[in-house]
Amino acid sequence: MSNNDNSVENGLTIHGTCMELCPTEEVTLRMKEKLVHVLEVTSSGHKLVKSFCRSAANSNLAVPRMLRPFGVLSDTVHYLLLELSNRTDVKMSVLYDFLDDRLRAVRQDMTIQRLPPEQCVILLEPMIRFYVYYGYRLYNHPISEYDPVLNRKHLLECIKWFLNCCDKLDSTQTVQCDINTIIGNFNSLDICKTSPELYYDRILIESLYILSNLDDIHPLHRYLALPGHVKKASALKLAYYIALANMNNNYVRVLKLSKHLCPLTFSVLSLYLPTLQRKALHAMSHAYNSKHLVVPVEVLKQWLAFNTLEEVRAICIHYGMSLVREKDGICFEKAKFKNNVEQHRQLCFQAKILQLKLDEVLSYTI
Amino acid sequence: MQISLNHYIQSVERMYRLFDGEELSRLLSLRDVHVGNKNLRSSDIASLVEGNCVAPLDEVIICHLLCVKALHEKEYLEAYSHQRQCVVAVVRILQNQKEQNWCLPLMYTACLDLRLVAQKAEATAAQSEGKILEKAAESLLSCFRVCAADNRTSDEDTKRLGMLYLVNQLLKVYFRINALHLCKPLIRAIDSSPLWHQFPLAQQITYRYFVGRKAMFDSDYSTAESYLSFAFQKCHRNSHKNKRLILTYLIPVKMLLGYMPTVGLLEKYDLLQFLELISTVKNGDLRGIDSVMEKHESFFISAGIYLIVEKLKIIAYRNLFKKVYLEENNHQIDIANFQAALQMMGEEDMSSDETQCIVANLIYQGKIKGYISYQHKKVVVSKQNAFPPLSSL
Repeated sequence: MSNNDNSVENGLTIHGTCMELCPTEEVTLRMKEKLVHVLEVTSSGHKLVKSFCRSAANSNLAVPRMLRPFGVLSDTVHYLLLELSNRTDVKMSVLYDFLDDRLRAVRQDMTIQRLPPEQCVILLEPMIRFYVYYGYRLYNHPISEYDPVLNRKHLLECIKWFLNCCDKLDSTQTVQCDINTIIGNFNSLDICKTSPELYYDRILIESLYILSNLDDIHPLHRYLALPGHVKKASALKLAYYIALANMNNNYVRVLKLSKHLCPLTFSVLSLYLPTLQRKALHAMSHAYNSKHLVVPVEVLKQWLAFNTLEEVRAICIHYGMSLVREKDGICFEKAKFKNNVEQHRQLCFQAKILQLKLDEVLSYTI
Repeated sequence: MQISLNHYIQSVERMYRLFDGEELSRLLSLRDVHVGNKNLRSSDIASLVEGNCVAPLDEVIICHLLCVKALHEKEYLEAYSHQRQCVVAVVRILQNQKEQNWCLPLMYTACLDLRLVAQKAEATAAQSEGKILEKAAESLLSCFRVCAADNRTSDEDTKRLGMLYLVNQLLKVYFRINALHLCKPLIRAIDSSPLWHQFPLAQQITYRYFVGRKAMFDSDYSTAESYLSFAFQKCHRNSHKNKRLILTYLIPVKMLLGYMPTVGLLEKYDLLQFLELISTVKNGDLRGIDSVMEKHESFFISAGIYLIVEKLKIIAYRNLFKKVYLEENNHQIDIANFQAALQMMGEEDMSSDETQCIVANLIYQGKIKGYISYQHKKVVVSKQNAFPPLSSL
């Protein structure tokens, strides 16, 4: 039965035949209609990349000559994320929008051709890093330039797809321990390569999944059900312990453990920081509730990873607390805590990712 | 005294003409004695039945007997596809019978058998990853649609009375293939149904058991508590196995809400895995909790209660701090004393800051009445009822 179904599926699969980053028809059309993006104009002439096109009624996207096979898709991702991302002549948000759109087109080609999981993971992993990187870097940009909701949507879409592929690979593949695979693994570690290689790091993505969904308990259920060799990886365990501490609102432990995170996982956690700080301040407004007692501003800065003393003061006032003792102390009163105000947007700026370029973020392992 | 094939067909047809749904469903069940009858396993069932019986009942009989034959030959995938066809034929019968629901028992039997055969096929087919059960769920949904759409018939004769049975079967499938997100629309359909009190009690219990577990999975503990308690209280006293299953989930939820089960109960239902957990939580023995969790890890994870057990640590903190408070016999307690207690109980790297954070959360949740003074590094607890009973929160 199920074998039959599979063969039917295979029979329907379309294999792309387009060997360029962009199908010829689209190149002609966009050149004619003057729809070439500024990032597609290079010093050596035009270099177009297939753009995302919504599937609409009456349009047939499943045309082999319009679809790029795995090798070309891999080159496209390579080109977009490792070469184009170095362009400095446009604003960061414009660059992001362009890359986001072209990566979406890559995913569309993957879907239409139903690429097997072992190929999907290789294409998806760098995209996930890309979304995390810009999700942090563009966080404070105005909504007209950058939409954090869409970024998160695409990020989660890629992560879930990636993890789904991993599950499929888990169920088909028995762990290979023969000598050839081990040697193979050593060869892939070749450090003499001139250009950074794209490969996939499951532990990193599993960690990102947990840390980007800290208010949701389901990623933890997933973690507990993972196969032993994945679950035992120390980087992933760290993410799990952070999520556990957060589940119990133990903000001191979350921030203590966060010091061990890698740049990408740290930046995902940083996006959650305002929520964590708000929850912590709310709990503290009950626990330190007193008209006379104070908590020093300095201590709050240290506990909740604020950037400056000034920021602590501003945020505490935002939530209804008052400053006392020459602005050096915060007086918590539970009755005054404003739970209905909008959440503050200040971010933890110490994230290491700010000093890194996209290609550096794409290639490190944890 | 094995009856002949013709005789069998006649009796099925008679029950059909008599509108006897119960007897009809028995004759078409895979769990009835007639399944062992060799006379019904002819090599050419289709031609022998066809024309010998009223349509569309003939198709049900053909599919059923083909399924029986395949089961005897241990061809589970084949049996499964015949049983699916059987459900399709039953759906056709249901659709043709307007304003009557006497056929519901037949639908119940066909659907239950489908699920059981699908489970068997799933177990024998490697690499199916739940695809067979997923397909079976689609068949169950086709029945569900027919029942749910029957909204113009009177309350006694409506096929909507069959909805809960189908939802329960679907919930069982979704829990098995780990597709809990698909439960939501089903739960909504049942919760908004005006027929709730007309559904049989047994079905209500099954339903609440699964919805309670779903709530637990979504960490909605008070809902989980009320659903699982209903299931446990109403479950028949002789259904020992079912009561034990319900308790597996009800106990940790209750513990989280401050109710500890008695040793007698745990012994009666063979759930002694919880016994050590209870004593460690009561004593605030954090190291003990960790070792219990390690010891019973696979039980707690497979039951889906591992994270709840993790949450019980908060209760353990509260119990430990209460001990310190009783020992000190003072309503002002140094943070350092709490910190020392935590370190002694297994959290060696506990800092003063983190201790304050834990206390702060307990105060915030109302588990300790009092406040913290940062300057004096003290917790000042209320002179009355400083540690209110958890069950009162």
